[in-house]
Amino acid sequence: MIWALAGRDLKSRYKQSALGPAWVVFQPLALLVAFTIGFHSVAHVRTEGVPYSLFALTGLVVWTYFQAVTMSAVGSLVNNYPLVRWTACPRIALPLATLVSNLPSFAIPALAALIAAGAAGFLTIQTLLVPFLFVWLVVLVAAVAIFMSAITVRARDVLSVTPFLLQVMLFLSPVGYDTSQLSPVLRALISINPLTGLIDAWRWSLLGIKPSTAAVAVSLALTSVGTVVAWWLFRSLEVSMADDI
Amino acid sequence: MEPVVVAERLSKTYRLGEHLRLEATLRTVVRRTTKRPRLEALHEVSFEGYTGECFGIVGSNGSGKSTLLQILAGITPPTSGTMTVRGSVLPMLAVGAGFHHELTGRENSFLYGTILGLDRQVIERKLDDIATFAELERHFDTPLKRYSVGMQSRLCFAIAMLFPANVYCFDEVLAVVDGEFKDRCLAEVRALAARDATVFFISHDLEQVGTLCDRVMWLQDGEPREIGDAESVIERYSRHVAAVPEA
Repeated sequence: MIWALAGRDLKSRYKQSALGPAWVVFQPLALLVAFTIGFHSVAHVRTEGVPYSLFALTGLVVWTYFQAVTMSAVGSLVNNYPLVRWTACPRIALPLATLVSNLPSFAIPALAALIAAGAAGFLTIQTLLVPFLFVWLVVLVAAVAIFMSAITVRARDVLSVTPFLLQVMLFLSPVGYDTSQLSPVLRALISINPLTGLIDAWRWSLLGIKPSTAAVAVSLALTSVGTVVAWWLFRSLEVSMADDI
Repeated sequence: MEPVVVAERLSKTYRLGEHLRLEATLRTVVRRTTKRPRLEALHEVSFEGYTGECFGIVGSNGSGKSTLLQILAGITPPTSGTMTVRGSVLPMLAVGAGFHHELTGRENSFLYGTILGLDRQVIERKLDDIATFAELERHFDTPLKRYSVGMQSRLCFAIAMLFPANVYCFDEVLAVVDGEFKDRCLAEVRALAARDATVFFISHDLEQVGTLCDRVMWLQDGEPREIGDAESVIERYSRHVAAVPEA
């Protein structure tokens, strides 16, 4: 079911579109260029001896997927109104399908980062943790996806708030900078964001940059708690979705 | 004989009006919330459905027919009462629910089949049959957005007919198809019942309900006014409709 829905989204996404799948490449590429100008050339962010573009690209591995899934998951139930209203298909398949249909948004920056990190000689034994980090990313994003999609069924406010929330999140996550340069208070605050520990872990795995243990612990804890909460919320709202939508 | 479907004192209440609005939110903040009126779409409906039977449901718009089948299909829960179904249900409550307009007929067959719960291999084996039954061989690789409503409804019906279920629900899905295809569909529906399935059938075409169904329930304002053999219920219902023209 999840695969069928994801296949539908993938097939239909680029129909009647001149550049089609090429857009998956442009989006992170554009952010990368913007970050390099903003954080590197203007703000002179330090990156522990790693070339800035590679540093930011590793952050984008997490961010691009997070953003792509969140954007499509928020409306995954309300945009499929007929399915929810007239069929008995398992509702959870709709937000979960966006995890699959947006995999290219993960795969392309991830491959680029792996190849670049390898070519620059940064890869070490901890690179073997990449599969685990991928699962962690998927679980965290899944929790966000099912949570947001379920709330949207009741309150469409989520649809309005998400693009703006993502814009804010992009700067409150260490996608283009490193938290080690922040004041301890600010660093602690940024570490509450579950993306912080995850991005740190990816940088450690691909670039050997020492992560903030606290941020990693917070992120792992929030990922597990968030998944349970999101699952519970979805389960309890699921019953009446056909009426509430 | 054990009934396949048992509905006991089913009631369903909906809130009227919009669920959330800025005005209402502000009101809640400032003072107390205004109570929204409720509508009892179904009130204490009880009936049973048996193996091999075609059960028709008639009634004017808003009498609760569709809500009843939504509860039967497990899409929405009743506010009170119980609905027990032994076996699997195939709901066909709206034409094209689950179709995607950018995908072709072939792609949509996979999608809709999967939504109904069919295996990929089963759909693959039956693709030709679907196209033939729906008379869409020439258009099978055309995006659905270029189909007419009738063509979509033929495709929808052709896929659903492949699904092996114990209970089938049809809600006005043959309203837009032409005569010859409609006759074939009705024959197929009849064949489902002959193969020991239970069929629930909603239609405003009383002649259709009369020829297809064994028993009929007449719903009025969410309450069953009559349940009985098709011929006599339809006769009384059509006399009622003729006497009180629908607003």
